[in-house]
Amino acid sequence: MIYFSELKGKDVFTEDKIKIGKIEDLIFLASEKPNVSKLVVKDPTDKRLIIPTSFLKKIHNSILIGKEFETSELVENELYLVKNILDKQILDLQGNKIVRVNDVLLQDKDGFYISGVDTGLLGILRWLKLEKYFIKFSNYLHLKTSSSFLSWADIQPLELSRGQVKMRKDEKKLEKLRPEDLADYLEKTNVVNTNKILKMLDEKFAAEVIGNLNINFQTSLFKQFNPEKAAKIIELIDSDDSVDILLTISSKKRDQIIALLNSTKNKEILHLISLSKTPIGELISTEYFTVNPEETINDVINRIKIETADFSSLNSIYVLNKEKQLVGVFTPHELLLQDRDTPVYKFMIQNMIVIHLSTPVEISLKKMFKYKLATLPVVDSYKHILGVLTSDDAAKFMLNKLP
Amino acid sequence: MRLIWAKYKYKLLIFLSVLGPSVITTMAGNDGGGVITYSLAGAKLGYSALFILPFLILLYAISQEMGSRLAIVTGKGLGDLVREGYGIKIASFVFILILLANFGTLLTNIAALKISGEMLNLPVIPLMIGAIVMSFLLLTKSSYEKSQKIFLTGMIFYFAYVFSAVKGNPDWVESVKSLVIPKLNFFSKESFLINMAVLGTTITPWGQFFVQSYMKDKKVLIENLGFAKIESYFGAFIAIFFTFFIMLATAATLYVHNVPLESGEQAAQAIRPFAGEFASILFGIGLLNAAIIGMVIVSLSSAYAFTEFFGFSGSLDEPFNKSKTFYRIFLINNIIAALLVITPFFPLFKIVLYTQSLNAILLPVFFYYILKIINNKELMGVNTNTKFYNILAYGAAILIVVASIITVLVGILS
Repeated sequence: MIYFSELKGKDVFTEDKIKIGKIEDLIFLASEKPNVSKLVVKDPTDKRLIIPTSFLKKIHNSILIGKEFETSELVENELYLVKNILDKQILDLQGNKIVRVNDVLLQDKDGFYISGVDTGLLGILRWLKLEKYFIKFSNYLHLKTSSSFLSWADIQPLELSRGQVKMRKDEKKLEKLRPEDLADYLEKTNVVNTNKILKMLDEKFAAEVIGNLNINFQTSLFKQFNPEKAAKIIELIDSDDSVDILLTISSKKRDQIIALLNSTKNKEILHLISLSKTPIGELISTEYFTVNPEETINDVINRIKIETADFSSLNSIYVLNKEKQLVGVFTPHELLLQDRDTPVYKFMIQNMIVIHLSTPVEISLKKMFKYKLATLPVVDSYKHILGVLTSDDAAKFMLNKLP
Repeated sequence: MRLIWAKYKYKLLIFLSVLGPSVITTMAGNDGGGVITYSLAGAKLGYSALFILPFLILLYAISQEMGSRLAIVTGKGLGDLVREGYGIKIASFVFILILLANFGTLLTNIAALKISGEMLNLPVIPLMIGAIVMSFLLLTKSSYEKSQKIFLTGMIFYFAYVFSAVKGNPDWVESVKSLVIPKLNFFSKESFLINMAVLGTTITPWGQFFVQSYMKDKKVLIENLGFAKIESYFGAFIAIFFTFFIMLATAATLYVHNVPLESGEQAAQAIRPFAGEFASILFGIGLLNAAIIGMVIVSLSSAYAFTEFFGFSGSLDEPFNKSKTFYRIFLINNIIAALLVITPFFPLFKIVLYTQSLNAILLPVFFYYILKIINNKELMGVNTNTKFYNILAYGAAILIVVASIITVLVGILS
């Protein structure tokens, strides 16, 4: 993840270190997936070069582009980031002013696209180069700073070309989103609304979205579904996830749903449920280390030295937001690869594998091995972390099972 | 007399309710600080002080008209346009300047409130608390429409100056002649400096900011641009019309009797022996009203600036909860200013002078952006300035800028 404020004005070099100019603006596609298609580079003679991002080799730390780059033009359906989004007022559907776009978030993993806009105070301070000091100062006062973001999913791309940054509510457009993004979006609303929106989607896509929701939403939704509908969804989502959900609803409804499943799925689910007799609570440990997203690598390393001195091991570092919800994770190795003043939110992994107290031990272990993770966080329905399942615990459990 | 007044009061109210942003802004330009400067001008220069007024109407009309045109065509305030056109860094810079400059103007208004309290024999601290609470309630509890009506009704109090001037038995023929024919002492150094101060207190950054934001909140349709133009011109005229009487009130008394004066505050207080008790009370009421309107409008323009530059929701039409930041700024500004004014040994006039210098720095900045934006075809379409109008506007801008810079230099050097 990178902010536009960090790119603007940065020098652009070719691979063989010849300076071309400075980043002035970005060009993106005004669509549901806003790929950044071109860079606008101002050369030393104040001429503006438009260079397609296909020539872009590297964006972090320094910006490098291919030796044989070609320039191009703005085409239809493309917009400038500075002219069309940055500093603009965001309107809701009624046209009321809500907030202003202070910065733009860019995602550079799996492509290069706009992931959202920053509407908070930190976005302003970042431009004035005061963000670091402000965070340090508020950490010193033990105040938590938090960022306010609006996901791209909340903005109507069509309105942008008409010169307005407008919030979206047109629910028909939702299908074009990725299921993970939509799940995040829905978790910010309520269950009734979520159910309403899911009904408008096709079943397969809806099931994918449900698989990405948190267990609290999943349980509430399944309580509302009739057994036929629930069974259909169970067939479409991952068995491990299904068992997690099924174990949270009443046994009567669970049996009804399982009876409606096709035979292969039915067998699989029954087998997994039969394994679920061992409660995970007996196995997990409470020895884990958490940080907040704004802390820098330096802060984290210092705290590790002091706070984890008596830990038996440290394999994962968890990131909690202001509401103490689990929002990210990284390993000590990933930590060491970063610069000293990088804040945590810039490199943490947000897409996490978690388990719940109701998750059977066998399924937890399967998840652990399947995703090759050293630890798994156990969270409640509010994403609060309750403990961790470590590979040591897992090994102990396995050892007892061996003859 | 009372019957006539009762008969026309109603008609006058209706007439005023048709008007809006420009008139409110220009009349608020006759704020506490304004009244004090105008009285000083009248007391020191006599009828000769009036000569600048027709010219002032022209400058005022042009600058106000551009502000309201920008608001109607783009639907945005000056803060919005600067932020969107020039980015966050410039916006933050301009915002800090306007916040400080407005705070200085607020200080002069609260100081004027104190003076009017002394003139009317009212206890100063309860008066200040009352004024702040009242203006806060006025803004939080009423809609745009209502607050506008209240502002406009408040302007009736400006007639106090008319009566006050009449009571001073001025030479009417002489005063009207002075509007067109300059007197000998108009060309003196003292006259030049005072005229510059008059110009600087009339055309202000906050006035420029406020008219645009207030007009934007009114959501006037572009079809009514012509009406808004007339309103701006009328606003400039009516404000200077009252300025005429403020100057006349002191010219006919203090200047004629050669009362030596140091500052504008003395001018207001020295009227009593010459114009009589009643005229002096009227003058005090006028100043009280001017100070309160100034307090409200100047703090409002700070609050507008904050919400426009940084995009937090803010408008007079939104309920208190939604616009908390907007009103909080209003309250904090006023309370701090009041505390400073009642603090003994607080170097009020030094601080006021420094913040007025900020006004002078801001005015060129504002005019630069106003002229740049108003001539931007992409934003304004066919409603950019005409060539003739541009010549007038640039001329006015340069003159206003020179005036404010000279005022500041003189203030610092003397």
